[in-house]
Amino acid sequence: MSHTRNTQNTNIKTIAIAGGGTAGWMTAAALSRMLQPQNVKIVLVESEQIGTIGVGEATIPDVANFNRMLGIDEPTFMRATKATFKLGIEFTDWGRLGDRYFHPFGTHGVDMNGIDFHQYWLHAQSTGSKELLEDYSMCAIAAKRGKFILPDANPRSVTSHLRYAYHFDATQYALFLRDYAEKRGVVRREGKINDVLQDSLSGNLTGLRLENGETISADFFFDCTGFHASLIEKTLNVPFKDWSHWLPCNSAQAVASERTEPLLPYTKSTAKKAGWQWRIPTQHRTGNGHIYCSDFISDEQANQVLLDGLDAKPLGDARTIRFKTGCREQFWVRNCIAMGLSSGFLEPLESTSIYLIQQGISRFISLYPSSNASQVVQNEYNRLMSREFEQVRDFIILHYKSTMRDDSDFWRYCKDMSIPDSLQHKIDLFKAAGRVFRDDGELFTRPSWIAVLIGQNVFPDTNEPILSDIPASDIQQSLSSMSQAMQKAAGTMPSHAEFIERYTRAKPNTNGS
Amino acid sequence: MNNNDIKNVVIVGGGTAGWMAAAALSKLLYTKDINIRLIESEAIGTVGVGEATIPHILYFNRLLGINENEFIKKTNATFKLGIEFVNWGKVGERYIHPFGPYGMDMEGIHFHHMWLRQQGLGNVKPIDEFNLQIQAAKAGKFRRAQQDLQGSPLSTIAYAFQFDAALYAKFMRKISEERGVTRTEGKVVKATQKPENGHIDTLLLESGEVIKGDLFIDCSGFRGLLIEETLQTGYEDWSHYLPCDRAVTRLTERMETLPPYTRATAKSAGWQWRIPLQLRTGNGYVYSSQYLSDDAALESLNNDLETKPISDPRLLYFKTGIRKQTWNKNVVSIGLAAGFLEPLESTSIHLIQTAIARLMTNFPDKLFNQPDIDYYNERTRIEYEQVRDFLILHYKASTRNDSPFWDYCRNMTIPKSLETRIAIYKENARLYRQDQELFNHVSWFAVFNGQGIYPKRHHPVANLLSETELERRLNEIHTVTQKCLEVMPSHEQFLAKLP
Repeated sequence: MSHTRNTQNTNIKTIAIAGGGTAGWMTAAALSRMLQPQNVKIVLVESEQIGTIGVGEATIPDVANFNRMLGIDEPTFMRATKATFKLGIEFTDWGRLGDRYFHPFGTHGVDMNGIDFHQYWLHAQSTGSKELLEDYSMCAIAAKRGKFILPDANPRSVTSHLRYAYHFDATQYALFLRDYAEKRGVVRREGKINDVLQDSLSGNLTGLRLENGETISADFFFDCTGFHASLIEKTLNVPFKDWSHWLPCNSAQAVASERTEPLLPYTKSTAKKAGWQWRIPTQHRTGNGHIYCSDFISDEQANQVLLDGLDAKPLGDARTIRFKTGCREQFWVRNCIAMGLSSGFLEPLESTSIYLIQQGISRFISLYPSSNASQVVQNEYNRLMSREFEQVRDFIILHYKSTMRDDSDFWRYCKDMSIPDSLQHKIDLFKAAGRVFRDDGELFTRPSWIAVLIGQNVFPDTNEPILSDIPASDIQQSLSSMSQAMQKAAGTMPSHAEFIERYTRAKPNTNGS
Repeated sequence: MNNNDIKNVVIVGGGTAGWMAAAALSKLLYTKDINIRLIESEAIGTVGVGEATIPHILYFNRLLGINENEFIKKTNATFKLGIEFVNWGKVGERYIHPFGPYGMDMEGIHFHHMWLRQQGLGNVKPIDEFNLQIQAAKAGKFRRAQQDLQGSPLSTIAYAFQFDAALYAKFMRKISEERGVTRTEGKVVKATQKPENGHIDTLLLESGEVIKGDLFIDCSGFRGLLIEETLQTGYEDWSHYLPCDRAVTRLTERMETLPPYTRATAKSAGWQWRIPLQLRTGNGYVYSSQYLSDDAALESLNNDLETKPISDPRLLYFKTGIRKQTWNKNVVSIGLAAGFLEPLESTSIHLIQTAIARLMTNFPDKLFNQPDIDYYNERTRIEYEQVRDFLILHYKASTRNDSPFWDYCRNMTIPKSLETRIAIYKENARLYRQDQELFNHVSWFAVFNGQGIYPKRHHPVANLLSETELERRLNEIHTVTQKCLEVMPSHEQFLAKLP
């Protein structure tokens, strides 16, 4: 085993990131941490004249892994980004007008004897129990009571079942990461990109020419230019896969409103006549947005819906965002990767925008190429990212498809639309005997699928056959003791606002390193 | 009890698969209203595959509530820390595929990237010396993991067993019968099908007895009495990827000192196993009849036996592949009736185990929902293909050119899935576990590295440590591993002291 691997000459020497915003600065921060800044130069080009979108204010628990990978101190990060904790999402008016359910992070109850918890719950329902599924979720119980505490490390404690993410100000998050990245040697260039330079023989990108005439040369490029997709689309002509027949919303209006009390540790999503409205509480204000399909409602009407749905005074006028749901046919082409909105768009119904950026970054790092990247590495990246987008897409479509609403053309369209085979298969499996299986590395796990299916009134035709012989009273007893333990634990937890106040006031114990 | 619930489960065949299924079902189904019957004939021999196992068997034992020490005594078992592969990459080379990890993962990346970087810098200690299982296997030592020593390699020791498959089936039979499984002695001569849907309705035994069932589990071995002879499900042949189609086996006397590992030695037309048990040693030459005659195979087996034979040789025929649907109508095939993959990585019992688990997860009622069955079949196929790919790697990643058999293997086309994996590893040492697959990065790395496939690059994060820091950490892991090895007792001592 005496072979040597001499690859010095093909190592990437300069990486250029086109565009700031959440995607750009997340990429810059992660690369500055994961690569050797002395060997790889990282340049980010952004223009203060171009606004950023920054809709991804709510996140899912994976974001904590990203921050941990960067070595970011949690209280410091929360102070800087005005963050609050998030234990899940409350969905109102989705299954039917007047319905509500909670999609919590973490699990429901505890699986017993190798059988999924929800099967026990379904069985109990069939014998007359009235408890909601969410009454067995530690996250949902705490959320409902406006409480929060960090999960207990002891796996035997019920609060060890807590999982959390954050709501934060995306603009502040980008600034926070910019500071982090610049401290680690990322060079920021202010300026608009006028031209993307391409090698006429290989088709590889070679540089970005700015408005002031300066050229930034690099071996590898990230397109974080948002919907402009200046590199991946305008230069490399990678087509976009349009999914708007499955997810027809194409517009959003967003406005902040004043903070309200109590400070909720969860996101709200309320279905409207032609879309839905989000409510995301941060420390200083509440973010709101109405996502809708312009074929079914005018912008003026949509604006009125948004304002009517606010629970406090708006801070300024709403801004309108246009989008098309779908993703690139390829995410990595030649020496360029599209990251963030340039790579695709899925509405923030399940707060996945930041997660998808994270996945792109970590896959790039683990497939880290030489400057003449092999095709097999690119193919693998594209395969993984396509699958990721499709899996999230299916889960979002489920919310629209499994509805009984027929009070508007929009909902009638959703109810009757054809859906991807992959999703149909999942729904069929659940309807048959309540079974849910997680596909290959899928983000949303069984409890998430169950929460939405049950929450939107999709019930299996038959119960788990194996359980039919257990006396109903035995099952009820196991379930009651679980929910009692959770209620008791929630009783002793501090309120969300109190916890944040205490947690972020403390001096950071480590400095982000 | 619902009218659609399954009331009668009939298991056909009582080898390893049949009795494992009976034991698990009798434990997991609340048997008050479900009758489980197993039909077997003493006139029909069993193949008794899978004398060597992988660590997942511990879950199965735990699920059944088995006392491990008692189990070891009853099945003449020894402990197993991995498999030693001899003459695979090249004649004269050897490596061990261990069950537990190399070194420890650092900075969020797998240890092998750190080791590869150090190797590139020169002055690296052999990878084996960073793996406690390999070191213990070589030194003939064993102990179980000590969970309380968090962070120590002693807390991550993973092990499996080598045992007498016939005794194992007997052990499973005892558990099953204690839990109410009915055993019926007899040969099945005919299966009748329901005219409306082709489901199996009854089995007619030689004695004239008629047995009715709602769900049939076909554990009848290669012939597939129900799944193939009755339902004609079809078999997908994979022998172009894995050309071995025969094995000649022979028991020999116990080895003087018991190695806590299985050995697989590559030979001119296949490979030979050596499985050391407490009272005897199992041996077998798996070969391709296209490249070697049965007589020559037997002679070669005999030449390479290390202890005196105590049984006549037995010849087994097989065809590598999978049943087109392992669950068809109301018949679920498990074990050799479902498919065959040579025991190079000791997966036979594991595949039985996961089939049982999958059946429990998708346990049907009399309506036999097709989406559940489709899902079961899809998962089974993925699992078999993943194991298959890992087996093919051993043959493909070889530079042997000393026989037509190896010339074939070296040049054969391999599945696209495997080709991609090899290409990615060669590029940047990335190893990923696909879709809950059985073999993780440790296993893939062991075989890649052991058979001389080297990557061009490693994970960029491995470059973040300074050269002195990297060397310091590797030295520390190395020292700790050697110290742990010192405190382990010998395999014999450990076996002798089992309560």
